[in-house]
Amino acid sequence: MPPRIRAPALQPPNTTYTPSTRFQCPYHPSSQARPFSNSTPHASRLRRRMFAWLQGPGRAFKEPLPGSTNYLGAYDRSGALIRGRGLERRAQGQREEGKHASDGAEDEAVGVDALTEEKERLEREAKEKREGELPPETLEDLRPFPLNREFRSQAVLSEELREAIWERVVKRGSVRGVSAALGVAMERVAAVVRLKEVERNKPLALPYARAVLAMLPQTPLDTRIKPRPHESINDLPVHQATTTQLFHPVSESRHFTRVDAGLVFDSRLPLLPADARIPHPELVAQAGMTRTEVLEAQKALDEKEKEERRLREEKRKKREAKNKVVQGRRWDFVFQEVSVESVGEDGRSAKGVGWRYGFPHEDRKRGQVKIPRRVEA
Amino acid sequence: MVVRIRLARFGKRNAPFYNIVVAHARTARNSKPLEVLGTYDPIPKPPRPGDEGGRPWKDIKLDTSRAKYWLGVGAQPSDPAWRLLSMAGLLEPRYRVAQIQEEKAKLEPSAAAETSAAAAKA
Repeated sequence: MPPRIRAPALQPPNTTYTPSTRFQCPYHPSSQARPFSNSTPHASRLRRRMFAWLQGPGRAFKEPLPGSTNYLGAYDRSGALIRGRGLERRAQGQREEGKHASDGAEDEAVGVDALTEEKERLEREAKEKREGELPPETLEDLRPFPLNREFRSQAVLSEELREAIWERVVKRGSVRGVSAALGVAMERVAAVVRLKEVERNKPLALPYARAVLAMLPQTPLDTRIKPRPHESINDLPVHQATTTQLFHPVSESRHFTRVDAGLVFDSRLPLLPADARIPHPELVAQAGMTRTEVLEAQKALDEKEKEERRLREEKRKKREAKNKVVQGRRWDFVFQEVSVESVGEDGRSAKGVGWRYGFPHEDRKRGQVKIPRRVEA
Repeated sequence: MVVRIRLARFGKRNAPFYNIVVAHARTARNSKPLEVLGTYDPIPKPPRPGDEGGRPWKDIKLDTSRAKYWLGVGAQPSDPAWRLLSMAGLLEPRYRVAQIQEEKAKLEPSAAAETSAAAAKA
């Protein structure tokens, strides 16, 4: 079929393209333009609806709300922000109230102390300011897909919070402590620190990051002593061994604790009791303490952690100092001393040096993990 | 029969890994040796996090005292084995290893004296 080329004589006479006509449906009955599409009436109805939506309820999405997510779920059918409804009503009420209040305020102010008056004024202003702002997003506002009511957008760490996490970890040196102080899970704290280290030496696509962050709910940096947590940090991880059912009859007279239960699951490598498996067992211990006691306990823990890390580092250095390093042109050859005795008397020990003889290589066996399990950052 | 110190190639395609072995000269490359002295991983590893120089490195494991014993009783190293053992200070360096050490000696005369002394002692 030859390509369809529109003859110049058939072009509509008025094709000026102004912002006001931008979203107008070209198939509207009143349109003077010749319809150049052969699509079915059904398709044109859909298009008509689309343009009607773009000019009606969809208009709110053209200019996103500053400092808030702008999801479909936050608006009603007529395109009004659901959580902003109360605001409009209050604004209307205030306009009416203002007329009545202005004449009563003067005689009241005469006997009141100047200081309290000032204080009241500040409070009133703050309250008005709070009322003038949009209320914070509720769970209903965090639904980007209106048809999927179960999906709610989860908050991500804001830039300031990430910066604060990195700074505190570098200064204080304790992932555990920072996690407990800011209400961010330890894994996430560690990930933020690693990412920050990478970000320091790389050009960043900042406008892109800003645009993506603007579309997501964020956890701001909270500088209070007990900030609002980003997530629940002390969840008990489900150990794989505990997912199978296990029936273990125990006599009533026996003192059967959680430690014994752990032994039942695996006698060689017993499961730790739940109190020891939670990420922050120290928080349970600090539950009844006063503020100063908590601070002291935390300080002691940090010190202990630092000392352990220092010892580990020292041990590693000592071990590496024993190695002989010979410099080549492009790389170093590191000679580590081993013992031929490590193969054992029969020469078959798995701890022996080198590739083993007479054993199949098990890399194709089930359950062999081949993806890297740790990253040298 | 001649006893040799040589490399036995293990590992996978494109991922070589060698055992440094003591074996009779006429046995197959990967047959069971008299003794495994150590290993040589020829694939350079990226520099470690705490490393100041930031140079890649190759991992070699070696039982030096057993290697010395086998050399003492007349085991003959193959050329690649000689290269490794000379870097460990057990043999006189030859070829490329010697070249590099000479280059280094020109740059740092004091360090060179130590290495040559060590080689002579071995």
